[in-house]
Amino acid sequence: MKDRKWIALSAVALAVLVMMNLPDATSQRVKGAVRDGISPLQAALRGGVREMQDIFRYMRGWRDLALENRALTEEIVYLRGEMRMARDLERNNQMLRELLGFVRRSPNRLVSCEVIGRDSTGWWQTIRLDQGAHSGVMDERAVITADGLVGRTVAVSARTADALLLSDPTCKVAVRLSRSGVFGVMSGVGAKPGEQPVARIDFLLKDADVQEGDEIVTSGLGGLFPKGLLVGHVRNVELDEAGLYQTAWLNSAADLGRLEYAFVVATEQDLEQAVMEDSSVDMGLVDGRAAEGETP
Amino acid sequence: MTLLVMIFWILAGATLQVVIPAWQHMGQPAFPFLLAGVLYVAVNKKPIYFVLTALLSGLLEDSLSLVPLGYSACAFLVAGWLAWRLRHDFHMRRAHMVMGLGAICAAASTGTLALLLRLQGSVMLSRNECLLRMAGAAVLAAVLVPVWFWLIRGMERLLGTWEDRA
Repeated sequence: MKDRKWIALSAVALAVLVMMNLPDATSQRVKGAVRDGISPLQAALRGGVREMQDIFRYMRGWRDLALENRALTEEIVYLRGEMRMARDLERNNQMLRELLGFVRRSPNRLVSCEVIGRDSTGWWQTIRLDQGAHSGVMDERAVITADGLVGRTVAVSARTADALLLSDPTCKVAVRLSRSGVFGVMSGVGAKPGEQPVARIDFLLKDADVQEGDEIVTSGLGGLFPKGLLVGHVRNVELDEAGLYQTAWLNSAADLGRLEYAFVVATEQDLEQAVMEDSSVDMGLVDGRAAEGETP
Repeated sequence: MTLLVMIFWILAGATLQVVIPAWQHMGQPAFPFLLAGVLYVAVNKKPIYFVLTALLSGLLEDSLSLVPLGYSACAFLVAGWLAWRLRHDFHMRRAHMVMGLGAICAAASTGTLALLLRLQGSVMLSRNECLLRMAGAAVLAAVLVPVWFWLIRGMERLLGTWEDRA
């Protein structure tokens, strides 16, 4: 009887040890398969919750609908005019580029994704996206919104991807201050979703030109994030106790607490690989470019 | 039948755990739906069911997060073993006793996972943050575990698989 107990205990210990020491690729494959299996359920539940939120929002705001409608009509008229002007400018720009023999600097494309979940364990600051390797999303790619950079992909399965947010302490981004050109490495401070500041830049020289409100963009160094993506703004600057370095605390441009949609910056190779893996896949691609100055 | 009921509750727990983000207070602990299921099985079922539930729940929790495979199973086994050892010291028919047991086991599970993740180097948490998180997990478990126990027991009674072992 005692022998059987020990055999059972050893079997359990062995099972756990095997699970903990599986090769990375196998472990990722197992995790990916389970995640893909549960993601439709997750997306459906998330969709239901969002519908309910929309209904409550609508019920709360129905009195202001007439006023809002009027304001939106005015905005449409204004934006249509702006759009016409922008089209003219784009045509001129294209023509001038052709005359100068310009080529697009970055071959990056955007894959649009819906946020279907947040980190449920609380150990990291992550979001789950509803597109994965089948749509051209790969590991270690920048994730952005219309407002700016939000993080990078860290675990990609066939149909989902987890993105590590800027606010996570393990998320490091090589950045540059737009105004003064000062370089630095930004790291998250573990802020809760929606809380500011989300990150900081340590070890800035004490005489570096950093001011409150300065715009922070990606520097492109390290190759992970394309150059020129808007990250956020300097909230405040502190001198360290020894008076040798400055620390800049940053607010993110994108609201990390209210993410509903995001874009993954994919390369042409990523998309080709996805097409090769699944030729009939719906890519969910946005007709946008991640070239410098064309993304946030 | 018992196994099917367990699988149902594991899947329900995993889905809820994925949809409901971590609590934003006391170190951001997760809502312990999966752990509650493991504790229920540890207290009320044969050890083999408990081990299977812990392994399966761990596999699901790790797959749905960035936790390396096997770590949550380890934490669930520790918490479940603790619940199994303490099952005669706590009167399982009384809600406050279940709350106490849930809190102790959740703190143990969170502590084990924190230790494993720190050893692996994938999280940067100070000792105080770990303690705060363990306390947060205990508070959440104290609220959730009795409710989860009541729900599973209700289903078991309906299906006729309920056996009083506590």
